[in-house]
This record gives sequence, C-alpha cells and structure tokens, in this order.
Amino acid sequence: SAKYCPILTNHKSMESLFIHLIIRGDKDEHAVLCNEDETYDLKIADTSNLLLFVPGCKTPDQLPDISASPQLVHAQIWGFSNCYWELRRQRPRLKKLKKLLMENPYDGPAVGMQEEAPGPKYTMDDLLERIQASREEIEAHLQNVHACEIDGFWRILDFDYEMKLLGHVTQLVDSESWSFSKVPLSVCLEELGSLEPKSMIEHCLNCYGRRYSNEDGQVIYALDEDKVCRATAQLLLQNAVKFNLSEFQEVWQQSVPEGMSARLDQLRGLALLDRSSKPETISLLRIEDLPEDTLERFNSLFSLREKWTQDDIEPYIQDLCGEKQTTGALLTKHARSSVQNGVKVYNSRRPIAT
Amino acid sequence: MVQIVISSKAGEGPAEWLLVELQGEMVSRQNTGLAGNLMGDLHYTKEGVPVLVVGHHILYGKQVKLEKPFAVLMKHSGLPQDEEENMETNQENPTSYTVSALIKKKLIFKTRPKPIITNVPKKV
Repeated sequence: SAKYCPILTNHKSMESLFIHLIIRGDKDEHAVLCNEDETYDLKIADTSNLLLFVPGCKTPDQLPDISASPQLVHAQIWGFSNCYWELRRQRPRLKKLKKLLMENPYDGPAVGMQEEAPGPKYTMDDLLERIQASREEIEAHLQNVHACEIDGFWRILDFDYEMKLLGHVTQLVDSESWSFSKVPLSVCLEELGSLEPKSMIEHCLNCYGRRYSNEDGQVIYALDEDKVCRATAQLLLQNAVKFNLSEFQEVWQQSVPEGMSARLDQLRGLALLDRSSKPETISLLRIEDLPEDTLERFNSLFSLREKWTQDDIEPYIQDLCGEKQTTGALLTKHARSSVQNGVKVYNSRRPIAT
Repeated sequence: MVQIVISSKAGEGPAEWLLVELQGEMVSRQNTGLAGNLMGDLHYTKEGVPVLVVGHHILYGKQVKLEKPFAVLMKHSGLPQDEEENMETNQENPTSYTVSALIKKKLIFKTRPKPIITNVPKKV
C-alpha cells in the first residue's frame, strides 16, 4: 500500500533537489538523504496542528475574476498528517570511508609471481552502499586521503609506500636540478618507471603537486611545498610519542627536500605543540584519528589536554562547524572559557577523566 | 546498509498541491471516520481571504508562502499489502519513494472557529 510522508526541505532551489535522491543508512545509523553532492539529516518533526493535503486546490490568485454567479469546485483532501520529516544539511559521515580502505592498504605491486594478498576491496558502488554521503562528497574525500583506483577498486596507500614514492620523486628533482614548480611528468615516468608502476608515480605527483601544461603542451607538475613538508613531518612524528620541539624542527628541516621550508603552520591538524612544558614538545595528533561526533570530539580533545587556546583547538574542530557556524560559536556551545595568564583558554563543560 | 531511491516522474516536474493547516482536531459527526466524507466549504473573499466553513463553524485564515517548501513522497514497498516489511533482506523488492507533489504555500486557519447561527427566531 502506498504511504505518504511529507518532507520539509529548506533547499534554495526545490526542483534541483529532486534530481537524484537516495536515503542511506545501516540499521544502527540515523538515516540521511543524499543528492549528487550534499548530505542531509532526516528527522521527524511533529506539530499539534493538522496538516491537510489538497491536490490541485487553487488559491485566489489562480482563480479567474468571477463577476457572474459563484461556482462550486470539488476538491478532495488527499490525506492529512501531524508529522513530517525535516531535512537539515549536515556534514557527511566520511570517517568510515578511510576505515574501510585501511582494512587493506596498498603497498605496491605483488612481488614476483605472487598475487596480491587477499583482503577486502571496494568499488565506488560498494562505497556508495556503505557510506552515508553523496557521491561527490565521497569522491572529494577519496582525493583527500590520497586514495587511487587500482583495477576498479579504490585503495588507500600504505603511508610508508606513499613516502617511498614521494622520496623517488624528490630525489629525481634534486638530481636533475629541476625547479619544484617544473617537474616534467614524462621524464619522471621514464626514470622511475623501472622502480615503481608508472600509475603510482603519476598518482604520487597528483597528490603532492599541481598538474598543468606548459607552452609546448607537456604535462608538468608544481610540487606543493606545504604538502611535502607536512607528509615528511608525519613520517618523523609517527615514530615516537613526543619530540623535543627544537630538535624536531632541526631534523624536519634536514629531511625535507633542499630548497623547501619546513614551517610549523604547515602542521595544523596534524601535530600538537606543547609550549607549556620545558623543553617545548611536539606530538602527532591527526584530526582523522579523532571521533567524528561533535560531543565525542570535544570530550576526546579535553581529555588530551585540559585547557586549549582557540588557536590550538581550531584546526581540530573546524570540520564540525555547521553551515554558517563559526568555531567561536562551537566553542561557546561546547566549552567553557576562562583567562589564564592573560590568554583566553577553553576547557570542558563537564568533568573529564584525563 | 540500505539505500532507498527517491525519484520524480520523468518529464514534467511534480504537481503542486496546497496545504491547509488547522489548529486542533478534525472529527466526523457520528464518529464514522473521515474518509469519503465532506469536510466543509472553502471560500475566498474578494480580498482573497480564505474562509472555511466546517459543520456549523466558520474559520478565517490567510494564505502564506512556505519558507521551507514541502515535498510529498509516496512510498512503494514492492511487497503485497499483507506482508511485513523487512528492508534488510528484501533486495528484489527494494523500498523506494516517488515525489508526488510539491507544496509551496498553505492556507493556515489560526483563529478560533465561530459558530454560525442560522436560525435566529424573529419576532413576527
């Protein structure tokens, strides 16, 4: 039997919302509604008023001017309801995507005659079945995590393998004395193709550089200094719990390609500095390792550190902001502020076990 | 996980319906249920004010453009009427929805219904 459910939308253009809509959710998840590039939360709302639906019923502006005798038009009430679904635009739940891909990271082609070890692999359709997000949001996130499509399956690279590829590229740039902004694709593939699959070399350049064509129509890459330095920092930081900050900065600068500048502002959302300890320290703290849910995220951050300055906490809560919401508003809602040594700091609203 | 598709009819966009919003509850006189019964008469004054006559009550309302439009969805469960819904296992007959209509404006009746007294005895 057909059941009706009115949905309230707040989309700017109603007609375009209905091009391709899918409701997605596992049994234990809240349902979300997705079109090609957006994700909405679906919540039931009810009203004490009675809502009647009348197809084709006209309003005064739609009726002709009746100067003659009054007319009677029969209109049928199709149905009525006290409740409806409300749509609220929300950030898509993408943490699951990396988790799925990390079940079986790619660390290079199989050696010798062996086939690649078995492990779960996901096509785009598989991902659409499992992730509560729109296709475009999934595609954007795949790019963010440097995933690539191999044999029709989306794979995330094992980080050490990814750094190995980057190392080949930066060493070649150094030995050829190229400018970082003029790295020719064809020469890279030629020189490095014997070490690693050409598709992987190109994928590495796509992740760490900006692709363009020069006047002769050749494909060239401009390496992104921030991305390269950031990845290098991660490689160093993941080996220990904490580092002496000044020692780290020295080793880090020596590890990045000569000519690139390693700067602390490149590490926002990746590492946390502790300027209150003596000596000052730095440790790995990646935003993608933190909980996705807003309340859980704040609890997690406050259990790592009791008081945060806005500048320190900002990179770790930026993605939680709703449409038109600022990090300041988020902090007002989820934290309590105080002033310590003349600096405004935020702590948890509730007791947290540290 | 379940994926439920919502589609609209190919070609023309969905029809536009009108929403009539009332405060309170609608009951049928002899408690026979609402289906199939005449609810009342909707009139518009020359100024375009909607007037609803239900039973012996009259209600005045107004036309309002909805800030957040509604969409009316029709559910298609693909199952015979008496079978129980079990979305997880039902791959051959997946649930889907179609957009039946869009609602961009409503007539809202918030004033207290006034009784219509039609039989006032007159002194002859």
